[in-house]
Amino acid sequence: MKGLLETVIRGLGNGSVYALLALGFVIIYKATRVISFAQPALMLAGAVAVSYLAGVTGFYLAVLLSALLIAGVALAIERVAIRPMVGRPVFVVAIITLGIDVVVRVVVNGFIGRDVRQVGDPWGFTQVSLGPLVVQSRWLAMLLVTAVLVTLLFAFFRHTRYGLAMRAAAFDQETALAQGVSVGAVFALSWGLAGFLAAIAGMFVGTGQGIEQMTWVIALKALPAIIVGGLDSLGGAVAGGLIVGVVESLFQSYQGEFAPWLGQNFAIVSPYVVMLIVLLVKPYGLFGTREVERV
Amino acid sequence: MKSRYALVSIAIVALLSACGVIRGDDEGSKGGAQAPGVTTEPCPSAVDTKKGCIYLGTVSDLTSGPFAALAVPITDAQKAFWARVNKAGGIGGRYEVDVTKYVKDNKYNPEVHRQVYNEIKDQVLGLAQTLGSPTTAAIIGDLKANSIVAAPASWTSAWEFEDVIIETGSNYCVEAMNSVDYAVETYKPKSVMAVHLAGDYGADAAAGAKVAAERNKLTFTNVETPSGATEQGRAITEITKNKPDLVILTTGPADAATIVGQTAAAGYKGRFIGTGPTWNPALLQSPAAPALKALYEQSAPGKPWDADTPGHKAMREALPGVTPNDGYTSGWAWAYPMKAALDKMVSGGDVSRKGLLAAVKTLTSVDYEGMLPPEAGNYADASGASVFRQTLINKVDDKATTGVTIAKDFFVGPTAQAYTFDGPCYTKL
Repeated sequence: MKGLLETVIRGLGNGSVYALLALGFVIIYKATRVISFAQPALMLAGAVAVSYLAGVTGFYLAVLLSALLIAGVALAIERVAIRPMVGRPVFVVAIITLGIDVVVRVVVNGFIGRDVRQVGDPWGFTQVSLGPLVVQSRWLAMLLVTAVLVTLLFAFFRHTRYGLAMRAAAFDQETALAQGVSVGAVFALSWGLAGFLAAIAGMFVGTGQGIEQMTWVIALKALPAIIVGGLDSLGGAVAGGLIVGVVESLFQSYQGEFAPWLGQNFAIVSPYVVMLIVLLVKPYGLFGTREVERV
Repeated sequence: MKSRYALVSIAIVALLSACGVIRGDDEGSKGGAQAPGVTTEPCPSAVDTKKGCIYLGTVSDLTSGPFAALAVPITDAQKAFWARVNKAGGIGGRYEVDVTKYVKDNKYNPEVHRQVYNEIKDQVLGLAQTLGSPTTAAIIGDLKANSIVAAPASWTSAWEFEDVIIETGSNYCVEAMNSVDYAVETYKPKSVMAVHLAGDYGADAAAGAKVAAERNKLTFTNVETPSGATEQGRAITEITKNKPDLVILTTGPADAATIVGQTAAAGYKGRFIGTGPTWNPALLQSPAAPALKALYEQSAPGKPWDADTPGHKAMREALPGVTPNDGYTSGWAWAYPMKAALDKMVSGGDVSRKGLLAAVKTLTSVDYEGMLPPEAGNYADASGASVFRQTLINKVDDKATTGVTIAKDFFVGPTAQAYTFDGPCYTKL
């Protein structure tokens, strides 16, 4: 039982990171109907920024500055490469984001160099005791920070003018425009928020093990998370991320014992299996909005 | 709903592309010249313009692959090695060697490796470097068909059976056998676990560890793990759950640091011995550094950067101002057999691919200027009988230039001594 709970906490920790990334995907999708494949590059850029700034400003300030910096980068990307494409098919814009991902990663790789870079986090591999459980402190940090960010984000959407504008634009762009909502500002804000969250996620990915040029691949795990949770649901993104993290962690710990016939390392594909099962049962994800199409 | 299909399609394309499944078409070969890669014109940066030029190709992991931190120093060291050869009079007083014109990036992807190899193969006599085991496996058929001699940048046991490959230093299989034997002598383990990447890097070492475990009557378990520091959860769980006395690691350096750091944090107190590529001096700055110092040793096919041999000294002098890395050391050492073979080819008079291969087949020893024993360069017998079986054990030492110093000099353990090589080890795991 102790092992199971420790496994679940590890899963929730890693799942929090996937949730932050998934939130970025969903926020941009809700505002623009585009899946932004630039998230992996923004995540990596955030982690690299922290690794450079931590030695100068201290770790916590470096995280804040890096997240703001990457939010700024995301804003710039949106203004330069995405805004001119408004009105074009979303598929085309999604492909453009793939290109942006490659370009940003090439630039960021130059800053990473060929060795592993450390983000200078205070957690390392230290462990803490939670009653009888012994867990890594960085997992708790991931979980706690994600909980705070998600709470703030939901409060922002519910209680602020810009949050309301974003919800209105997501619901019906034309009507929102007619009511005086600046849809352009909503697009920009969604990219900025996604960049901010990706940078925090990147920093957490780098804790303990550091970052290297291939670290961006982790961000792809947010894709099954958003499908599981529902492409247009913020709550779904959080739930999806946590589910993916926990499922992966459980497979890592127990598959060898209970289902060795699945072969070694089934944990890698387990999020995609969950995604397929959810798609079969609920095609719009656990919390996604069912689309009604007139024929 | 449409966007959902679009997302799934793009996600699949992105994944396949990331995995290297989707690539451009290969270029076909462009037909051979009489003696490809040999000209009477001088090399582009010739020391003596009266000499002809022998072009050697390099296909390495130069940008984004997992071994770029080793591959770039390997390539730079080989450029310095051949510049030194050229300055010292070249090959047989008639040719200089160029390894700078045909340098290609394989991104550690077999498909890309084959593609870029095809782009340069008609312009080179041989390959000064073909980095990686699975990548080189993608071109081995063509190398053999065209008698193209290649120096590998990998240590899989498959190369012992290929006469076009001039390997240097013991293979991963021997390295793991010696590591287990060393641990039996030093730490008296009762159980050993091989944690390894898939394929002929990781599985080769795991197979060697298995053979040595059986010979020493140790219980053996085998855990295949994916590449990527964040993917090591299962390997960590297997180690902390089963608590083997000894773990033989065959992964990349970031993976190794994660595994050692996290298992140590969870209270594991066994020993780790990692193959050569599991170490990188940057790990001393990682949170895993205390655990690495306490529990980890590196097995290696050659001596580290600081070693006191004429070859090491020449390398250090030829590479002033670089940040030391044992990629340089390996790259430099890998070049000696090619130089010996080229010398023999030119003195024999048949300056061609076939002439070079014939020269390789008569090499029974190579002067490594003390970096390795001369018998490491025995290519006259590709049956497996002449496999070089000496390796070293290094320990982490933050005062050493590349973070490691020799704990046990070149030795052969009883398992490797008695083992009969009748095929690549990784096929027997």
